Amino acid sequence: MMNVERLQRFNWRPVAIGFLLVLLLLMPFNWFMGQYTTLLVFIGLHTMVTVGLCLLLGYTGQVSLGQAAFYGLGAYFSAVLSKTYGVNPWLAMIIGAIATGTFAYVIAYPIFRLKGNYLAMATLGLGIIMYVLFRQMAQYTGGPDGMGGIPQLAIGSFVFDTPFKRYYLVWFFCLSILLLSQNIVNSRTGRALRAIHGSEAASASLGINVAQFKMKIFVLAAVYASLAGSLFVHHLSFVNPQPFGFLGSVMIVVMAVVGGLASIWGAIFGAAMVRILSDELLLRFGELDIVIYGLILMLVMIFTPEGLFVRLKSYYRRWQTGRLGEVEL
Amino acid sequence: MTNTALQVTGVTKYFGGLAALDGVEAAIDAGKISAIIGPNGAGKTTLFNLITGVYPFTVGEISYQGTSLKKLPAHKRTQMGIARTFQNILLFPHMTCLENVMVGQHTRSRYGFFEAALRLPKSRKEEEAVNLKAMKYLNLAGLGMKAEQDAMSLPLGQQKLLAVARALASEPSLLLLDEPGAGLNKLEKMELSDLIRRIREMGITVLLVEHDMELVMGLAEWIFVLDSGKKIAEGTASQIQRDPKVISAYLGEEVEYVES
Ligand SMILES: Nc1ncnc2c1ncn2[C@@H]1O[C@H](COP(=O)(O)OP(=O)(O)OP(=O)(O)O)[C@@H](O)[C@H]1O
Ligand SMILES: [Mg+2]
Repeated sequence: MMNVERLQRFNWRPVAIGFLLVLLLLMPFNWFMGQYTTLLVFIGLHTMVTVGLCLLLGYTGQVSLGQAAFYGLGAYFSAVLSKTYGVNPWLAMIIGAIATGTFAYVIAYPIFRLKGNYLAMATLGLGIIMYVLFRQMAQYTGGPDGMGGIPQLAIGSFVFDTPFKRYYLVWFFCLSILLLSQNIVNSRTGRALRAIHGSEAASASLGINVAQFKMKIFVLAAVYASLAGSLFVHHLSFVNPQPFGFLGSVMIVVMAVVGGLASIWGAIFGAAMVRILSDELLLRFGELDIVIYGLILMLVMIFTPEGLFVRLKSYYRRWQTGRLGEVEL
Repeated sequence: MTNTALQVTGVTKYFGGLAALDGVEAAIDAGKISAIIGPNGAGKTTLFNLITGVYPFTVGEISYQGTSLKKLPAHKRTQMGIARTFQNILLFPHMTCLENVMVGQHTRSRYGFFEAALRLPKSRKEEEAVNLKAMKYLNLAGLGMKAEQDAMSLPLGQQKLLAVARALASEPSLLLLDEPGAGLNKLEKMELSDLIRRIREMGITVLLVEHDMELVMGLAEWIFVLDSGKKIAEGTASQIQRDPKVISAYLGEEVEYVES
């Protein structure tokens, strides 16, 4: 009896997170998964964007089909400021995050007067407008052909000049964001967000400033995406509008859904699944990729609306308690 | 002399061409249990919605402790000490009973995004206090054992008690209860009456909308009767029961019941 209780009370969470950390630490080495370092960098970047959407959509219940726009804003702020105007890349990144956050703040109040499908349409429109701007403002952005020669990030004389080094930089940012988000979710703020998801009327009746919380989380998600965009352009030293269009936004939604909308750590899983799919498999399907994303979205929503990652976790739990049951007998 | 907590003056509210409330006047005494009764569609819930800021209103005035509520957004009215439950309960799904009540404590703790993200000591200290308070209100509603259960897994009767606990957790001075007895069995209604009396003893003014006359007559010290958006009577339980206008309003409703 004692033993069973101890087993049940044993908290696997730190073990799982420790395992993940060791894995992340070792993956870019050549004897492990070195040939996939670039893919792993992209997974980290997309995880950052996805966590923002999880907070917004999964926790607060507010859909956005335009998250790639903020990703793109960060990317272009960093690219243009550091390349064209010679601003220090770190400073450019901060300016980009502030500007993108301010932009999100300004559009938050009008956009969140809308709900449900209307909100989806509005954010979709936002994404399309930004994409067109990235393409059309060619004298700044290089237009559809993009711009290259973007300087690399450095700390003193240490330059992040190889994918190996940038991998650690990106995952440092990514894990910090995951940790901050995890803390936010398990707090007064996180409760308020979930309450808003449950019932806006009841939330307001308990003193929650619904509009303000929606705005704050929208801004936070935009800043996450902007930081990811900045890291993205310094990783590639190149930027074009392609990742920041409608398909880009759809990918982010699929990542969030696959990882589990209301699961912070699931974002890594979702981003990894979709990136592996898009970088390693979907290349063969050409333009059909959007169809496949649509299909995944439909299948996940129909069969595991809580997300694939969350479902696997609950299977594991059930298997574990099943085992415990046997022990008890 | 009793003093007035909530003053409703000439409040009128139209939905399209329909006057859901039409020149309603009411003074709710501080520290007492008052009730609003009236047939379906009389405007009772609408009045609650105007008091708590769910809808704006233009005609008339509602003031609480002498301050006009007219221009205050809903969440600021909570800070002034007004809390409510909803006719359709509106618990937060996917959250435990304890978490539901903890949301009720929202205005009673201050720490925000920043402290939460970095888990500063302030946030942890306040979380502990919130947790304790929430447990206190759960216990008050007799739901202490259910703390870790999903709120939606409770039977209806307990869901209603949980909604009361959640509202209480905002530590109000005025509590509005919209049909707390609907759907409850005899025993649950007795528990509810008991809880409402204890709330009054805590010094909280209670305003209750309820169809169950036994419950209302047993609890309310003052009763307002609404019909088709108009106040047709007010008084003590015995005054109301003898009022011919009230009787005819309810007779009309009984005929409807037979038809449906
Ligand atoms: N949001 C709304 N839009 C349009 N009409 C509304 C709205 N809310 C209420 N009404 C109408 O206003 C009238 C009063 O409704 P209200 O819900 O206040 O009645 P009630 O006294 O609470 O009734 P019940 O006892 O059935 O709960 C009804 O005719 C209702 O249809
Ligand atoms: Mg009603």
